[in-house]
Order: sequence, then C-alpha cells, then structure tokens
Amino acid sequence: MLVHLGRVMVDVAVIGAGQTKYGNHQLGLKAMWAEAAENAFSSVDKDFEPRQVDEAFIGSVAFGGAQLGNTAALLTEHSGLDGIPVRRVENACASSGFALRDAWMAIKSGQADIVVAGGIEKMNDLSPERKRFWLGVSGDTEWERLAGLTFPGTYALMARRHFHEHDSSHDDLIHISVKNHMHGFENEHAHIRKQVSYEKAESGFMVADPLTLYDCCPTSDGASCVILAADHVARQFTEDPVWIQSSGAASDRLALHDRPSVTQLIATQKASKSAYSAAGLTANDIDLAEVHDCFTIAELMATEDLGFAEQGQGGVFAREGRGVRNEGSVCINPSGGLKSKGHPLGATGTGQAVEVFKQLRGTVEGARQVRDAETALTHNVGGSGATCAVHIFGRERNG
Amino acid sequence: MLEVLVLHALFIFLGGSGMDDYSHWKGYLAVMNEESLFIQSPYIHEDIIVYGPDSDSTTMAIAGIQYMHSKGHLIESIHLSDSIDARTVFLATGADSMAHNADLKFGDVAWDLLGGDEATLVVAKCNAQSYDFKAPTDVEIIDTDFFKDMNEAWRLEQEVHHVSQGAYVSTSQYLEGAPARLSLTSQKIGDRMIWPPRQLDENGLRIPKESHTLLPEAQVESWTKLSAAGAPSEFSLRAPILGGIQTLLVRFEQGPRGVFLVTDDLEYSPKIGDTVHFAVRRIYAQEGMIRYGLKALPKR
Repeated sequence: MLVHLGRVMVDVAVIGAGQTKYGNHQLGLKAMWAEAAENAFSSVDKDFEPRQVDEAFIGSVAFGGAQLGNTAALLTEHSGLDGIPVRRVENACASSGFALRDAWMAIKSGQADIVVAGGIEKMNDLSPERKRFWLGVSGDTEWERLAGLTFPGTYALMARRHFHEHDSSHDDLIHISVKNHMHGFENEHAHIRKQVSYEKAESGFMVADPLTLYDCCPTSDGASCVILAADHVARQFTEDPVWIQSSGAASDRLALHDRPSVTQLIATQKASKSAYSAAGLTANDIDLAEVHDCFTIAELMATEDLGFAEQGQGGVFAREGRGVRNEGSVCINPSGGLKSKGHPLGATGTGQAVEVFKQLRGTVEGARQVRDAETALTHNVGGSGATCAVHIFGRERNG
Repeated sequence: MLEVLVLHALFIFLGGSGMDDYSHWKGYLAVMNEESLFIQSPYIHEDIIVYGPDSDSTTMAIAGIQYMHSKGHLIESIHLSDSIDARTVFLATGADSMAHNADLKFGDVAWDLLGGDEATLVVAKCNAQSYDFKAPTDVEIIDTDFFKDMNEAWRLEQEVHHVSQGAYVSTSQYLEGAPARLSLTSQKIGDRMIWPPRQLDENGLRIPKESHTLLPEAQVESWTKLSAAGAPSEFSLRAPILGGIQTLLVRFEQGPRGVFLVTDDLEYSPKIGDTVHFAVRRIYAQEGMIRYGLKALPKR
C-alpha cells in the first residue's frame, strides 16, 4: 500500500473486462459499446450493477466524425451508466490507454471507488474517400502530412533507418508478423484469424517501402471496456482480481523529424521506466506483454524501448523467436497484437487490458494461455510515438 | 525559330541548339545572357515546352529570381504577371512586386519577369531590349497520358470545393508557416538552429522569431515511397497517377531535420547519405488556393 503526502493511497484492481470482436462490424457505435460494456459487466464474478460505477473515461479518436462532441455521454447513456461524470479521452491510438490511466488515477486519488475505462472506434462504415479521414490524422498535420506522410510512411522511415543503424532487416519484421498471426489465430476476438507463413508474409505488396501489407495492422471496428475498483471494495465483486501494479505515461515531440532519434520512442522509454520503477519491477519480471504493433517495426522498437531487448537488438530478438508464446523469454502479443487482433484506434488500449485480465486469470482460450503468467504489461502508443501509456498488472497487489 | 513574346522586350531562340550555356537549376534549365536570364522547364509535350508535374510559372519564377541572386544580382522588386503568386514569390525570394505590395511604385521596380506562351520565363532589367538564346537539347519528352492526367488532377484539385478529409491546414495556418516552408527561415538559440519554428522553449520563454536561414542542402537519413492508396487525401488525385509519393527524411548541416517530397516525381532511387537540395514546388491545392513549399531534389 502506497503512502503519498501522508495519506494512504489505495490499490486498484481490475474486476471485470470485456470487448467486442474486432473487425468489420455491422453494429453501430451504440450497439458496439453496449456489447463491450455488457461483456465487461457479466465478467464480474459476483453481483455487479452499472449504477455502482462512480465515473467513466472512454477513449476514441473520432469515429470518422460521426460523433465528435459528447461521445462519452452518448455511450454511457446506452450502457446503464446514467448520470455519472463521463468524458471522452483522446490521445490518438493511445486514447484508451490514457482512459485507463485516468480511471486508475481517479481511484488512486480517492475520488472514486468504481470506475469504467473503455474505448471504441468505428472505422469501416465510411465511403472510400471519407476513409482517408484516418490517414495521418494524428501526425503533425502541417509539417508531416503535407510532406505526404501518413503513419505507414512515418513507420517506414523508422524501419529503414533502424536497418541502417542496427543489426536488423525486413526479414526480422516478417518474423514478427508470422508470430502475431500465429498468436491471434485462436483468438475469437481477433480481426484477422489466419496463420501466415514466412513465404506469404515475404510476398506482400508494398504499402510504404520497406513495409508491406504484412507489416501493417488492419483497419478495425471494435469496443473494449474494463471495470476498476478500489482495494477496499474489490472483494465485493471478485475473489480473483487482477491488480494494476503501476501506470506510467509520457509524451514526445509530435513530428518524427523533431525527435533526437527516429529509431527509439522516447515516450515509451519514459513511460515504461516510470511504470517499472513504481512497481519495483524490471522487464525481466514480465511474463507477457501486449505491445503496440501498429506496424511490425513498432513492435521491434518496442521490445527495445521496453527493455526486453538491448537497444539495437530488437531484430535479433524477433529473429530468435524470443517473443513467441511459451517458447521465448516473454510472450509478446499473446492476443495477436494489433497486427492480427486488430486496431480499432480508441479501443486498443483497454482492449490490451482485457487480454491481460483474461491471461492472468487463466480464462483465455486454452491454446492461447501463457503458462504461469503472473505479471503482464500493456503498451499503448499514440500516433508515431507522441504519447504512450504503459501499465503493469499482476496477480498480486503492488508492494 | 521559336519566339518567346514578352511584355517589354523580344527574346528569340536561335534555330541552332546547344547545352554549353545551360545549367540545371532547381529542376529547370537556365542560361544567362549578360544581365538577363532565360529559364525553362525541361519537359516537352508535342513540341511544346510544358511544366513538370508539380511546377508552374510561380515556382519557375522563384527559381529564376534565386538564380539571379546566386549570381550576385540582387532583385529587390520585380514586375510579375497576373498568373504568378506574388506573395509566394516574396516569401520565397524576398523580391517584392506591385501585386504584393500596393505601396510599390511602377518606376521603382527595376526588374521584369516575362512569361512566354510555353513554360519559359525571362528575368531581365526593365530597360532590356532583346537577347538571343539557343534552345537547350537536354529536354525530356513527357508522356501524353501522364501529362493530361496530371493537368486534370490539378484542375480538379484547384476547384473551390476541394477540401482534404480529416486533418486540415487552414489558409491562415498555411500562411503562418509559409516563410519557413518556402525559404527555410529558422530560429536560433545560442548555437542551436530550430526549424520548423517553435513557440516556447524548455524554460517557458518565447523563442525569438525566425532570424536566420538554413543552408538549402541536406543529407538523406531515411526515405519511403508510399503507395497511392495510403496517401493523404491532399494527394489522392495525383498519387495514383504518380504511382505513389516519395518522401525523404533529411538532416540539414546546421542540425534540424525535416521531411520533404521529391521534386517532380523524379526517377530517383534515394540512398541514405545522399545530398539533396531544395526547390519551391506546388504541394497541393485546397479551396481554390495552391499551397507551395520546398521539395527535395538530388544534387547532380
């Protein structure tokens, strides 16, 4: 139990978590959110009612403009969360990672006992021209977008530079793609449930040289929802909570060219350093990590920035299969990651928490279970690295 | 014999041709005759000199004035035709004009920029009479379909209702960044150059306005070619014709980095470490206004 400024600070547990399947949904916004919330509510082991929730934070980028204002109020209205303080949290693809952090802080501060954190995005119901809404919408509009950059291009620049500076190549990215499709194959919530061979991944058409289709996550619809509770009420709802041992977050320059390095995400390094420090852990203590692999190079760099591999050794890490479930030193993206599970921008951060909640409680599909999982990490990145939230979860309470 | 009719003087191509006097300058062909400059696009379509994919009379006027500056001819003011974006010329070169500055008097302007029917321009003193220029030989024939498709794409893009999807750069925001985008004006704190411009520093203090200019040469640190489907909506009409758009991440000698498109969709296979320089080109059009900026071209 932490003591801060002479006051006892509470610990925070995840008592329930649920999501929709990710993919190309027929459901609209309200129905998708309701499904994720319903799944989260019903996952609570003991009696739980939405009216017990004190506050809600919901991440989303913008639904392609469908509901830009008062998004959270619209959604909570349709999930039995009437009347409570709610707000939309927007930090690009890290929106719900930060919603989770805000929910955690609300309980930590003593202002709330039970808080919902969630996220949602509907990306596939736009016309082809309108779909370009999503391209580069979270980069530096004035200086990157007008140089033709969208995120595939930005990450392609990182990849080529990484290959130039370090022992890495596109072959290493193929290993990541193959692994994540293997992990996601049996995930009933995954957008793309198919195994991909090395040869297949090698032959993908070029999206942004050197990144091919098999290096890029899909455009997904989806919603996710987790329910957090203060330690003094958590046991009312479950005897088997998952504890949030720490939360770290940071930001960096928005534009790639303004950063000191284009082969490291400083925000990830800072956020994870803060999270490890607060939890009293190191990367070696992590059994599984849901890592933000919007592009395979993002996972390669994340394994370095999160400390699973030395700086510059992410290619070797991938090549040697050190992130493969129950084979490597740590399981990277047991859900299939953004590459296979999908990436409904605003839903991704809390979607990672849903996977971790189930993995640590041993309730995922049997073949996907990471053995002896005690400690897990989620890593949610906004855009090309301007924002990052890292959370560490455990079966045990922190401290 | 090819004639270029101009406002105040007659410039005549001699029937002969030769490249001896022509130099490649910012993607154009330029030749001087005493104090006059003839500059033209290197592209030919059906025996007519035409602009390349992202050039127009404004971008070539800027290149011409910059050429004169590089030869020691300081052009402080110049007469421009209506087809040239006088504000962009001023921001890129410092050359004022009556179209940009209503206080400027006709008699105070010492230089003319004279356009021909084709993609040719002459920069000359106002009192110049006529000079002869040989036609260049180092020209490239442009594919008819490509030429027509690009022109149609630009025409559609310049329609008033054409607005990008998602992220949007307003006219005022574009103009605020235009000096840095067109002429690499940068801020300076101690020995550190800052580009693009920033607001407050780490101490919360206002960073002084741009007072320096980056040297217009940089090294390639990385590059990519984005497929047409993945291009921002600003480029959605032209990217399929170009087969994608190519972007370079470069570092200037004085420290700052930037990302730039490649000029005129050149057949250029970049390598990390290449040296590039920059030329003003059309970037895209929105709400009837062409937005200009620097694009990179490999150093020959």
